[in-house]
Amino acid sequence: MIEFTNVSKTYPGGVKAIDDISLSIGHGEFVVLLGPSGCGKTTLLRMVNQLEELTEGEIAVEGSSIHDLNKIDMRRNIGYVIQSNGLFPNMTIEDNVMVVPAMLGWSKEKKKERFEYLMNLIGMPPETYRKNFPHELSGGQQQRIGVARALAADPPVMLMDEPFGALDPIIRARIQEEFLDIQRTLKKTILFVSHDIDEAIKLADRIVLLKDGKLQQFDRPEELLNRPANEFVSEFVGEDSVLKSLSLYQVQDMKAKLTLPEASDGLDGTVFKHGDSLRYVLSHLLHPTPKPVYFERQEGGLAGPISVAHIEAFVREMTA
Amino acid sequence: MNSKAVIAWIVKIAFWVVIIAFFWWTISNNMYAQILENPEQFAGLLGRHLQIVLISSSLALLTAVPAGILLTRPKFKKYEWIFVNTANLGQTIPSIAILALAMGFLGIGIQAAILALYVYSLLPILQNTIAGLKSVDPAAKDAAAGMGMTPTQILFKIELPMAASSMIAGIRTAIVLNIGTTALAYLIGGGGLGVWIFTGIQLFDNTYLISGAVPVTILAITVDQLFRVMQLFLVPKGIRKAQKAAAAT
Ligand SMILES: Nc1ncnc2c1ncn2[C@@H]1O[C@H](COP(=O)(O)OP(=O)(O)OP(=O)(O)O)[C@@H](O)[C@H]1O
Ligand SMILES: [Mg+2]
Repeated sequence: MIEFTNVSKTYPGGVKAIDDISLSIGHGEFVVLLGPSGCGKTTLLRMVNQLEELTEGEIAVEGSSIHDLNKIDMRRNIGYVIQSNGLFPNMTIEDNVMVVPAMLGWSKEKKKERFEYLMNLIGMPPETYRKNFPHELSGGQQQRIGVARALAADPPVMLMDEPFGALDPIIRARIQEEFLDIQRTLKKTILFVSHDIDEAIKLADRIVLLKDGKLQQFDRPEELLNRPANEFVSEFVGEDSVLKSLSLYQVQDMKAKLTLPEASDGLDGTVFKHGDSLRYVLSHLLHPTPKPVYFERQEGGLAGPISVAHIEAFVREMTA
Repeated sequence: MNSKAVIAWIVKIAFWVVIIAFFWWTISNNMYAQILENPEQFAGLLGRHLQIVLISSSLALLTAVPAGILLTRPKFKKYEWIFVNTANLGQTIPSIAILALAMGFLGIGIQAAILALYVYSLLPILQNTIAGLKSVDPAAKDAAAGMGMTPTQILFKIELPMAASSMIAGIRTAIVLNIGTTALAYLIGGGGLGVWIFTGIQLFDNTYLISGAVPVTILAITVDQLFRVMQLFLVPKGIRKAQKAAAAT
């Protein structure tokens, strides 16, 4: 879907922002570009829709080299959300969201319908906000509108540069959840810039970790956490990488890896379902006055009681 | 009401008291005699005045706005300082000197007056056009480009609407100054209401002075108010609301 081949970028003045990067991103994949400030995330993203030119190498989107595509047409087919939302203050919310459909010459009815669909998707009632202006919205709402605007013409590819950057942690977490839900139904191919490892773990199918324009590791989040490719990666993911990785695994992963004792029914304790995160399980086990922990079993009945030792064994399995 | 608002009110009331007193004084002393007795001459002078203002400021508008747009395009950015400095020079030289220079080129008459006032009006328009376009949020321009707007679309749909308020302010300043400065056109044989003003000065005759100066002033104030109204139509509602909200905090 998006193919980077030996891509390099040197800015006038000599800063080598991207250094020989090759990546292959699949259809419907959610890839997070991660790394410290100034490592080249934004540059790499902006090369895809040709807002920055490549110095060397080649980028192909859906099999065609970006050089062969008409810049304007390709950009209308790629959703773009920028770091500071970039809404147009002279336009109403509806006009902001419908910029690309308007350029594509959609009919009035089709635009209206699409606007209503998108606003409901991002959880903002269309009638309430249609005639508002960007400055009348909160920061979080503005960023949601930025996302809706990028989704407007239903582009198969989305480029998102820290779209949830300027939000406080609670709102941010909620918008991340909402966006994951949206992505589960829309299945876009997404390149998403973040400098926050937790955000990356939460959202990404795969993470691209960059440092000084060089690729450090391109892998699934659990691989990045459990099998860091080098010193920089293990430092970047932090000393609590094991804890972080637990939030990536669910009860069902543990049941698949370990043989757990069978428990009789009707016990007093906390029962976790298949989809529950192991991080919650561990948190329960470490509680000062823990209740016994059980897992729900597919074939009925319960497994358990689960102990910290089980988690330890599971982590050892996963990092082996 | 805070003390600022109270002071603003007092100033406003004092201003109107002075205005009314002034008009009462001029009318009761029959100072508009020239207008009343020579209506044809008055119409001629006013027409000439308007002609000079209209031609010189339209030309300035047609030059400075496109120049300001060009000088903010990436290609021509490097030339901005040359033009702004040149236009600045036009502004620092006293208006009388510009008139004299124009007369040197074109001799005595309306052409010289128009040229001088044209040069004199360039800077405020150019400066405000550039300032307005430069103040456009780069993020908005970047987002627009990233969504596939052409440079022309970005200019007309994003940049000009967002710069409109500053540009109109520049045009307003230029034209209001122009109306006042056109009174000097008399000095190089350009005609206009300056004829009566300077006659009044030379003859110590208040009827000439007031019959010339008051219409110029009213003209300037009217045009100024006209532009205020125009602002409401030309500046997008979102921008006006945002400016108001920003001013309130
Ligand atoms: N227009 C430019 N001209 C010159 N150098 C640039 C330009 N844009 C970025 N750079 C440099 O390229 C490098 C990568 O910048 P980039 O914006 O891609 O980083 P980033 O990873 O997005 O950082 P952040 O997390 O702070 O947004 C930096 O060293 C930066 O200074
Ligand atoms: Mg960046």
